[in-house]
Amino acid sequence: MNFEEFQNQARLYVIGALEPDELTEFEAARKEFGTKAEDFITECYALHEAFALSLRPAKSSAALKERLMSMVRERKQSQSESAGP
Amino acid sequence: MSSAADPKLEAGVSAGVETERNRPPFSGTVELEPGAPSDAELMLGIQAEEPEALSQLYDRYNGIMKALILRVIHNDAEADDLLQEVFMEIWNQAKNFSAKKGKPLGWMVTLARRRAIDGLRKKQAYLRAEARLQIETEQQPGAWVENVTEKEIRSGDARLLMAKVIKSLPEAQQEAIELAFFQGMSQREIAANTNTPLGTVKTRLELGLKKIYDGLKELRDEF
Repeated sequence: MNFEEFQNQARLYVIGALEPDELTEFEAARKEFGTKAEDFITECYALHEAFALSLRPAKSSAALKERLMSMVRERKQSQSESAGP
Repeated sequence: MSSAADPKLEAGVSAGVETERNRPPFSGTVELEPGAPSDAELMLGIQAEEPEALSQLYDRYNGIMKALILRVIHNDAEADDLLQEVFMEIWNQAKNFSAKKGKPLGWMVTLARRRAIDGLRKKQAYLRAEARLQIETEQQPGAWVENVTEKEIRSGDARLLMAKVIKSLPEAQQEAIELAFFQGMSQREIAANTNTPLGTVKTRLELGLKKIYDGLKELRDEF
């Protein structure tokens, strides 16, 4: 696989669309191309952001954040209690 | 179900950013108030177990994350539950985030998408079982099928640049990407679902993703 082919596969890889046989080949090429490959894969994850940012934000229920923050604080407190003095 | 059915919200979100003239420069993320902490700074705060950092990250991205989840599962109440789980996961897994491997938003979207697709698959499995039961009992099939796919990628007013790039693709490429990204389908599943040869699906995905990737690069270079 040349690097251009690897780039095509990488874009499929980050959205989880590679078939199992392609994945094996992709992982081998990824190893072969080393840092260059890792850098390109990292860049490809921008596709995730792009898809998310193309959507119009949706409204969540008002109580959701309160519930979330309350869970977070409880969890933090229980962790600090279990850690002890 | 639409991912943003609330007209008040749509009006609020689009205010000030929907026209060509007053659109802020493309940054690949949301617009920040002057002096506001960056996403990376908020992630550091969360890693230091500061609830306020999570609170700010939530305020910044809950709308986008909810839209993403809704795009996959098409149910508002379930989307809220998943959204809460995703932000709890962000809190719990923050230590695994590395800025070297990408931006916080990319990481968050990956978490949200994975959870949403898992949720969708569970729901589909449940619904398939339910549908089988309905057929067996000679009842009408349920209406769940309409929630499984949504073929058109809508342009979000506040995210016009991104949407434009995606919408510029031929419909067949958009469909393939929609099914892969938002429904978590493999190439073979897309081929089966759309009655398209596997090679064609692969070509559509490759071409479509390359165009989006190149479009994003161009936008970044432009600004």
